[in-house]
Amino acid sequence: MDKHIFLVGLNHRTAGVDVREKFALTSVADFEKSLLAACPLREALALSTCNRVEILVVADASQRREVAIPEAVLGHWAATCGGPLDVLERHTYRHENLDAVSHLFRVAASLDSMVMGEPQILGQLKTSYRKAVETGTARVLINRLLHKSFSVAKRVRTETAIASSAVSISYAAVELAKKIFGELTGKSAMLVGAGEMAELAATHLLTSGIEKLFICNRTYARAQELAKTMKGEALFFEDMVERLKDVDIVISSTGSPTAIIRAKDIREVLKKRRNRAMFFIDIAVPRDIDPDVNALDNVYLYDIDDLKEVVEENMSARQGEAVKAQSIVEVEVEAFGTWMKSLALQPTITDLLGRADDVAGRELAKTLKRLGEVDEPTREALEVLVRSVSRKLLHEPICFLKRRTREEGTAERFIDMTRRIFNLDSDPVNQDAHLDRRISGEEGDGNGEQLDCECCRDDETGARD
Amino acid sequence: MALPDILPFLVIALYFLGTALYALGSALRSERLKVAALCVAGAGFALHAGDLCMQLGQEGFSPTMARFLLSLMSLGILLIFLIVWLKLRLRFLAVVALPLALVFYAASSAAPGIKASLPPMLSGLFFLLHIGTLFSSMALLAMGFGASLAFLHLEKRIKTKSGLKTFQKDMPSLDTFDRVNHWVIVAGFPLYTFGLVSGFVWAWLAARRVFSFDPKEILSLVMLGLYAYLFHQRLAYGWRGRKPAVMVIAVFLLMAVSMLGINYLVPTTYHGFKP
Repeated sequence: MDKHIFLVGLNHRTAGVDVREKFALTSVADFEKSLLAACPLREALALSTCNRVEILVVADASQRREVAIPEAVLGHWAATCGGPLDVLERHTYRHENLDAVSHLFRVAASLDSMVMGEPQILGQLKTSYRKAVETGTARVLINRLLHKSFSVAKRVRTETAIASSAVSISYAAVELAKKIFGELTGKSAMLVGAGEMAELAATHLLTSGIEKLFICNRTYARAQELAKTMKGEALFFEDMVERLKDVDIVISSTGSPTAIIRAKDIREVLKKRRNRAMFFIDIAVPRDIDPDVNALDNVYLYDIDDLKEVVEENMSARQGEAVKAQSIVEVEVEAFGTWMKSLALQPTITDLLGRADDVAGRELAKTLKRLGEVDEPTREALEVLVRSVSRKLLHEPICFLKRRTREEGTAERFIDMTRRIFNLDSDPVNQDAHLDRRISGEEGDGNGEQLDCECCRDDETGARD
Repeated sequence: MALPDILPFLVIALYFLGTALYALGSALRSERLKVAALCVAGAGFALHAGDLCMQLGQEGFSPTMARFLLSLMSLGILLIFLIVWLKLRLRFLAVVALPLALVFYAASSAAPGIKASLPPMLSGLFFLLHIGTLFSSMALLAMGFGASLAFLHLEKRIKTKSGLKTFQKDMPSLDTFDRVNHWVIVAGFPLYTFGLVSGFVWAWLAARRVFSFDPKEILSLVMLGLYAYLFHQRLAYGWRGRKPAVMVIAVFLLMAVSMLGINYLVPTTYHGFKP
């Protein structure tokens, strides 16, 4: 392997929220670019969410020998965020090569998330990747690695049931509501009491398409305040039962010591709303809603314990699925390792043959120009001649390189030498694509140029699916 | 064997395969199996339609033959299923539609020579009205039966908070099941009423007698009463969910008894398929 992948990062398990806040990169513009400028790296990608920061970098073997890459990255990271380096070092983990690949796959597949199987992380990773492609800090390896991680995530999602069940209380509530009402668009909800959890559930409902939100609280001012932030309508507490007839979903979380919603009230309400279904979510302890309400037709009542039970059932189901998902990740990591091994030799051969064809083509054009008019068979014969000479000449060196690749450790040196002998790296192919690389302006410029281009095309097709 | 002879067996085989595959696909939650099942059933449906057309052209054909009627019923169920599927996106009703189509088609093949004795004044128009409307409403009821069973099952699970983790993501919501129930009642009741009335008018024209007290007619009137009650409660009184679901199931079961039980086993004036 002539390239090394490093991943440094922190997540909700290794760092508390204060540390995560301190070292978040969400508001740092062009972190990857500055990282490439500051450290001897070839590629970089940073992912920063509220639960984690992951910095993925790729360095050449030679660069690796010069500097301790993870330390350099950490140093730059700490400097960018203006935080103490020793704190950062204490809370971060480092992975190298296939460990890094495995970690990234796990992150993408949401196996490493706080709520395992939650789908947001993949979207965040895609956004980070798009940014890195736009700034030009993602190339051969990161391109391949990220596309792979997306497909791993997709496989895990489709082949295991890891993402199929609700694992947070508010999410479980929304899922249940969907089982009762189908689509939630056009439905209305009411918050009775304004606790944090109720707010969270309401936010969840709003994002699932709830059209109208009523907020009802003993202190009217608080209801108004909340109504403003959530774009709802504040109600007086006394009007609550009266207004229930327009409400499909009720989330209750008051501190009342006795039930505030009774079965006999709801029976009246149901008559008024012609038995349209109602879903009550009681997250208050002690409970706000009379349990008898659940016995009424077309009324469904879930209290906090019921919801917890749903969540726990789902959690334990997910643990089993996680094992399945892990084995998918392992298979894919192995495949990626094989690809990386071939990568070292492959671009060199491609470059070599490309260079030969290029020279042959140019010489052929010159000769044809000198000869003037020639008939088709002659032209074809000349063409075959130059190409076969150039290719045959390269046959032995390529076989030699292939043999060396099979031996551990020596290939890197010979590939490097070949590149220098044929001066494969001096050829700037795409002027503006690698502007950022000129800054580090090293001898190894343009390494794997052609694969870069291939990957750019890959990237376009990837973005379309 | 000539094509017309093996056609029924082919249709039965395809329906059976479709039913089995769909049930398997539902159990294993395999989308592919379900699609395959629907394709197989679709092929059966096409052959079935061809078979019906051929029967029409056969010598000695009479639209009162049990074979033709039951086969038509089977086709009607699938047609209504197709409408419900396309209109309400309720593909899972295939679980009900396919086996019912299979049962009715198989029953039709088992009764090749049987013929209902018809009143003398045979009128094509009345026959079409009577059979067409009744069969449509029965096929609708069959769909309502499936949706209502599903409703009761899902409702029980949500109410008792049990087994929630095995919820299928693609399983429709209670509201969807209830909507099927609504349409079955709203569209099915007028069709059924129309079918019965046309039968009585026909009987009056033919025999100057509206009601002949045979078991089929009595049961039909009972069903009409239940249906009317359901219609009223659902539309005027605002019934939803459990109660109409239970009643649709009851009405469907009565229908099945009347269609397969009475026609074959009990002597009636006009409706018997008794040999």
